[in-house]
Amino acid sequence: MSDNEEQPPSWEEVARTYGRFLYTVAYRLTGHHDDAQDLVQEVLLRVRRGLPGYKPGSMEGWLSRITTNAFLDEVRRRKRRPADPFPDDADRVLPSSPPAEEALATRQLPDHVQSAILRLPDDFRAAVVLCDVAGLSYQEISEALDVPVGTVRSRIHRGRSLLREALA
Amino acid sequence: MIEHLGDRISALLDGELTLAESAVARSHLATCPTCQAELAATDQVRGWVRALPPVDPPTPVIPLAAAQRRRAPFAAVAAAAAAVAAVLLVQLAPQQQPVTPHVAKMVEAHATSGANTDPVGQVSPVAVPVSFQP
Repeated sequence: MSDNEEQPPSWEEVARTYGRFLYTVAYRLTGHHDDAQDLVQEVLLRVRRGLPGYKPGSMEGWLSRITTNAFLDEVRRRKRRPADPFPDDADRVLPSSPPAEEALATRQLPDHVQSAILRLPDDFRAAVVLCDVAGLSYQEISEALDVPVGTVRSRIHRGRSLLREALA
Repeated sequence: MIEHLGDRISALLDGELTLAESAVARSHLATCPTCQAELAATDQVRGWVRALPPVDPPTPVIPLAAAQRRRAPFAAVAAAAAAVAAVLLVQLAPQQQPVTPHVAKMVEAHATSGANTDPVGQVSPVAVPVSFQP
């Protein structure tokens, strides 16, 4: 591998190349465009600080780890300040009219799935989003969340079970 | 008593079991209707999440000075608070001598000074349109 290939990308390059990926993960975690935008900006600040030490590898994995940590930090911060909770996600996202039952049998509207994701406990939500939205392996999720792989497996399966109940 | 697969079902779907684990799981599945149903249901919900479309940001993702964006509202509030404090100091200081506040004087002072020191007006309310289109 040449020196050029090992050079970390610039802050702007990360934003340009991975902006949509970052935003998608942020939106699936938060459920709101304004929260997702704030989260992405926080992630980019952390990216700028971390880029000098970035080792070539899975950029998506690295960005997902930063995004999830920033998200969980924000969740913890808001929990310490009960007057500033996350908005009532489900009420804001849930569409007013549910789809016909026959449609539910084979597929789900994205808004309903997103709404159910937002109702998951934070740890389960992070594991499911990192697996099924960001496409990370269990090992990468384990490193991102700093928990054993067995815990990742349990959270993903439990999260999916809860989603199934919510969407039944 | 057969031990059901539990969270190994998700791991199987995600390709996260070793070859040996996978073989054991499939062998169990072949004879366990409970785990077959669990596998099908888990696969369905996994597919729903994976089918969620990518989300385009309303505006291009550009590294803004996020710290500035966060400080700006605080600075405006701090400035407004300072303005209120200044007005209160000016208005209340002469009122400290009489035991009973002279209400009429306070009302008059407030009316005359309020016109050019409107602390609320210094805070620009920002209406953020919220869109839920994924």
